Amino acid sequence: MGSLRCRLLAAFNACLALFVAPVCAEESLHQRIDQKIAAGLANYDQLAAPLAGDAEFLRRITLDLTGRIPPAAETRAFLADKSSDKRTKLIDKLLASPEYARRMQEYFDVMLMDRRRDAKVPGAAWEEFLRTSFAANKPYDQLVREILSNDGADPKTRAAAKFFLERDLEPTIVTRDISRLFLGQNLQCAQCHDHPLVDDYHQEHFYGIQAFFNRAFLFPDAKDAKAVIAEKAEGEVSFISVFDPKKAQKSTPPAVPGWKPIGDPKLEKGKEYTMAPAKNVKPVPAYSRLSKLAAAITANENIAFRRTAANRLWAMMLGRGLVQPLDFDHSNNPPSHPQLMTMLADEFAGHHYDVKWLLREIALSSTYQRSSEGSPKSQNIPEHRYAVAILKPLSPEQIGYSMMQATGLTDVYRNELAKTLTEPTLQTKLAPNLGPFRQLYGAQPGEPEDGFASTLDQTLFVKHGNHVRNLIAPRTGSLVERAAKLAEPSLIAEELFLTVYSRLPADDERRELAELLRPAANRTNTLTEVVWAMLASAEFRFNH
Amino acid sequence: MKHCPYACHTSDHLVNRRLFLGGAAAGFAGLTNPAAARELAASQKRMLVIFLSGGVSQLETWDPKPNTDTGGPFRAISTSVPGVHISELLPLAAKRMHLLTLVRGINTAEDEHGRGATIMLTGRRTEPGLKYPEVGAVAAKLLNTTTPELPGHVQITPGGGSGFNKEDAAFLGPKFASVTLADGKPPADLPRPAILTTDADREREAFRQKLNAKFAQSRRSAQTEAYTESFEQASKVVAKANAFDASREDPKAADRYGRHDFGRHMLLARRLLEQGVSFVKVSHTNYDTHHENFDFHIEQLGEFDRPFSMLLDDLSDRGMLESTLVVVMSEFGRTPRINDRYGRDHWSKAWSVAMAGCGLKAGAVVGKTNANGTAVTDREVNGGHLFHTYFRALGLDPTKNFHPAGRPIPIADPKTSAITELLV
Amino acid sequence: MPATTIDPTKTRVLKELKHVRPLIGCRFDPSGRYLFASAEDDTIQRFDLLTGGKTALIGHQSWVRGLASVPVKNTPVVSHDNVPTSAIFRGVAAVHKPTVFTLLSGDYHGKLLWWNGADATPKPIKTVEAHDGWIRAVAVSPDGTMVATCGNDQLVKLWNTADGRPIRTFEGHTSHVYNVAFHPNGQRIVSADLKGNIRDWEITTGKLVRELDAKILHKYDTGFGADIGGIRGIAFNSAGTQLACIGITNVSNAFAGVGNPLVVLFDWNDGKPKQLKPKDAFQGTGWGVGIHESGIIIGAGGGGQGRIWFWNPADGTNTHTVNVPTNARDMAIHPDGAALALAGANGTSYLYTTTPTPAVSPSPAPAKKP
Repeated sequence: MGSLRCRLLAAFNACLALFVAPVCAEESLHQRIDQKIAAGLANYDQLAAPLAGDAEFLRRITLDLTGRIPPAAETRAFLADKSSDKRTKLIDKLLASPEYARRMQEYFDVMLMDRRRDAKVPGAAWEEFLRTSFAANKPYDQLVREILSNDGADPKTRAAAKFFLERDLEPTIVTRDISRLFLGQNLQCAQCHDHPLVDDYHQEHFYGIQAFFNRAFLFPDAKDAKAVIAEKAEGEVSFISVFDPKKAQKSTPPAVPGWKPIGDPKLEKGKEYTMAPAKNVKPVPAYSRLSKLAAAITANENIAFRRTAANRLWAMMLGRGLVQPLDFDHSNNPPSHPQLMTMLADEFAGHHYDVKWLLREIALSSTYQRSSEGSPKSQNIPEHRYAVAILKPLSPEQIGYSMMQATGLTDVYRNELAKTLTEPTLQTKLAPNLGPFRQLYGAQPGEPEDGFASTLDQTLFVKHGNHVRNLIAPRTGSLVERAAKLAEPSLIAEELFLTVYSRLPADDERRELAELLRPAANRTNTLTEVVWAMLASAEFRFNH
Repeated sequence: MKHCPYACHTSDHLVNRRLFLGGAAAGFAGLTNPAAARELAASQKRMLVIFLSGGVSQLETWDPKPNTDTGGPFRAISTSVPGVHISELLPLAAKRMHLLTLVRGINTAEDEHGRGATIMLTGRRTEPGLKYPEVGAVAAKLLNTTTPELPGHVQITPGGGSGFNKEDAAFLGPKFASVTLADGKPPADLPRPAILTTDADREREAFRQKLNAKFAQSRRSAQTEAYTESFEQASKVVAKANAFDASREDPKAADRYGRHDFGRHMLLARRLLEQGVSFVKVSHTNYDTHHENFDFHIEQLGEFDRPFSMLLDDLSDRGMLESTLVVVMSEFGRTPRINDRYGRDHWSKAWSVAMAGCGLKAGAVVGKTNANGTAVTDREVNGGHLFHTYFRALGLDPTKNFHPAGRPIPIADPKTSAITELLV
Repeated sequence: MPATTIDPTKTRVLKELKHVRPLIGCRFDPSGRYLFASAEDDTIQRFDLLTGGKTALIGHQSWVRGLASVPVKNTPVVSHDNVPTSAIFRGVAAVHKPTVFTLLSGDYHGKLLWWNGADATPKPIKTVEAHDGWIRAVAVSPDGTMVATCGNDQLVKLWNTADGRPIRTFEGHTSHVYNVAFHPNGQRIVSADLKGNIRDWEITTGKLVRELDAKILHKYDTGFGADIGGIRGIAFNSAGTQLACIGITNVSNAFAGVGNPLVVLFDWNDGKPKQLKPKDAFQGTGWGVGIHESGIIIGAGGGGQGRIWFWNPADGTNTHTVNVPTNARDMAIHPDGAALALAGANGTSYLYTTTPTPAVSPSPAPAKKP
């Protein structure tokens, strides 16, 4: 069995100890995060960047928690606010906003569904399921249990079955994705043999997960858009290692990696089904292996679940996981801060998987709030020491919403909606404009969204495409139109920088803009070019 | 790549060998030296795939069986290689058989269009959970080029939309994915729109660079570098947009190739190959002749034969054929049995591919089928063998591995190997 | 005298004339004793309707669709007396002695062959390299002195029946010429191509008199990048007042042959077309057409299976349809007017009678009704 199980057991024991006698109970989690991060690098306090300024913090947290840059008015208000707890108040306000639920819906949709096309569950129903779950701050383990236990038969809750249904319950893919997303272990390479590079990943782990649903199938068939998950009462997984010269055939009952397999109960012959299989009949077994999956994955003893859950939320905020890659948690790839990983995981579980609480604690930490501005003394420090905030490329959705906010389109819609303005009514207007961003910046359907590549089609879309040009084009209430009405170049600079960059312009930037506007050939044209340049710049493209 | 003073964690996957689709071109600094560029041009290898969509009939092309129960009405004609006969529907190709290499013993055992195409384009059968890159993406990644500002992987399709694809490069990443030139037209956003004047473009680019320079003073990563450079690279591509314009070719050449879509597309393929594009795929549609196989093959092959032959002549005359691998493929062949509507249906058990050029024995024929073409009787190969053969012919070692996410994946299917008797 | 009335609802199979390979084309000899059916094995099968004998004509190296015959001596007299028991139906009863006639057949290598069609085992007696590529149709002039051929070289050619000398070439089509027919008055010849262009030529001068439009029988399928259609069958009525063309229209998928058969019936005087459609939504191609002495227009064709359609000449309605168990790739009306033959894709030529008169055949197979 190897080291993973031993390590997990040790961690489990440690965690029990934590509940019995909490260490440093008086200190909140964000303080302990900072202690662990500081302990991860000699002279951290001297080497680390200072805390981000208000503008930098505002833009970062707004993007992370609501998926878009802040409106200029909010930026002005926040910069003007003199109260000492304004960052805490901002975090709480954002976490309470409907935009937070939308952001989490979109983030987890991409994470769980890899931008698959909607074939069996309408996208809107699934999004609503996710959005209401995050709005209600549904415990994360409960959310995952709902996803992993739904057979799609009840129209009222069918949306939750999307994870299974859009993968056509394809055994390799579902096994891979359960292990990747909920256990932080990409077991795909352990399908044909024990993982060649990772000692902890065994072929029986892969098939132990698969055994939970190897008896399940789509009824009536995978081609049917209304297919539901049905299950048989018999069938075992069997596997042979391609490295085994004897070609010994093995099998395993359902099991979460590192934990005791769940044996099938002995059933009397003839009583295996409550609804026996027949033509055009959905069978119902007396004992369902699949029904054990959700509880087994999210079980308290399964530390892998809480680790990867906490690690993914950390990565969403900080730009990289404590365990990185996110699905490569094993003893030869330890977390950058092992104690912090354990602590985050245990605290998250201890707080009943309260997502808002964990995000709030992370956001309150100095680690999160550190500036992204490097200095010569931080230049050789690896990014996983968190001495300087990591620059995060905006997600396709963040780019789209932020461009709409920056160019003024969102404000135009707000004005149009006036009294009927709510997050959902605004979203209905924004959504159609998001398509091209998802198309160009998103990964292919079924492919995990990882890595960063700046591709020619994206660049040409910004340089020459109609879509971006139309966003910038002046219209009543848009940025270019608003700025063009201002006489004073310095005020124009403020309007542009507050709106696009969520900060005030520096003196040299005010001067440069004034020079550009001086020829006064066509102020609207010049402003159009300036706004384009700002949208196309790195400062806009990254969350810094 | 410039020295980066702060937090620059350059990783290999951000450094592209090609400028075309983003990233920095660290490996090609030497190309500013004209002598080095010339040397590379001489050694640069290219690949052209002509994809006869729908599944061309092997019996009406490279492996005719006249006067048998499956042969259909056409003659087999002699070719420039004594003893080798092909269908009378390819009279011009027949005169160039000494440039061609035939594989007549293909059994891909897959009669569905999508999966058949996957086998022929990736050299592997469809596998759940893992997508392999298409031959064009592999070629774009592995072949050197003198013109990194042009795409390495181009496909010319008869219709549909022009644009940038992502999927066909699989784990090699979108920078090696194909650019589709639908009906030979570049993607809409490639040329500078008329509404954007050169002056405005220059001014806004200058301001963008100024903003980026300021940002980079304190915030810089491999990702921000790749992003900001992508604009400079895009400008270079835009400046090269004429490479996609076949109308700039000599009208006499257009006459020779034939004044029809496929003729124009093949002339564009020649232009792109000459400009240093590593891989071009031209699709000719359509051969899925479940009905009236013979009438349709007269029409389609009548359109194919001339531009194909002209392109072979041109590559040969210009000394490019020895460095350009040409492959004529389909997703499968067609049934020897003729159905009641004079059609032939899908057939992957015994069919043919024609190749020419780089690294191949010209005039060679490998593989045999039985008297009425229903089974392979000698040297049976599948898509994997062909995939190995392409890259061996291009001077590469397809038994080496790619390493997506640190996992070794052989370039070509290790269960198969190259058809070495075809290789020079 | 040929039958002048038929009852389409009485249509039934008289005889299944079987061959081992799929059939392509079929024509009767002038007397009506023989049926010639070409096959995918490059042969022409001669079925003797009087004796039930079958003879293979060997000589072509490719497929044959163009078949025509011309009597060399006297035109036979058809009589309904003294029907021998071996005869399949009354129409062949008169032809106890073989009529001497020439069979002309054109193949997909462009060769036009002459045969003594009544010989015990006919051999090619003359071969002319008539076209570059396929010969798609062969027709004989009303007086029998001229043979017309057409093909993929986009040409229509006229030959001397007696010695095979070329008389004239009609140039002008811009796609494969699918069919050719002589007007009964012997003055004009019409040719019809893939794109549905019909050309009406003056025989003596070679002058193009006019063009008729049957373009509805053609489509360029942009999805597949190919043409589909063509005039698959053509026929005048004996008075020369009507010209019928058959093919496929409404094509939604060229490569699966998804479309509907259609007859375009032209009024010869004013050139105005009328569309004759099958009543059912049958999908397939119309492969053969004829106009019976009674005026009834008869078409045949098929997709997955086959059909024979009968149209009322007065209002163009499809009054009756017969289901055929195979794709009917060609149709010929017997000179007696009492029967028709189909070239079946299953290798069988189905001989149908269309008259209410009882057949002579001892046990005719029942025709299937739609």
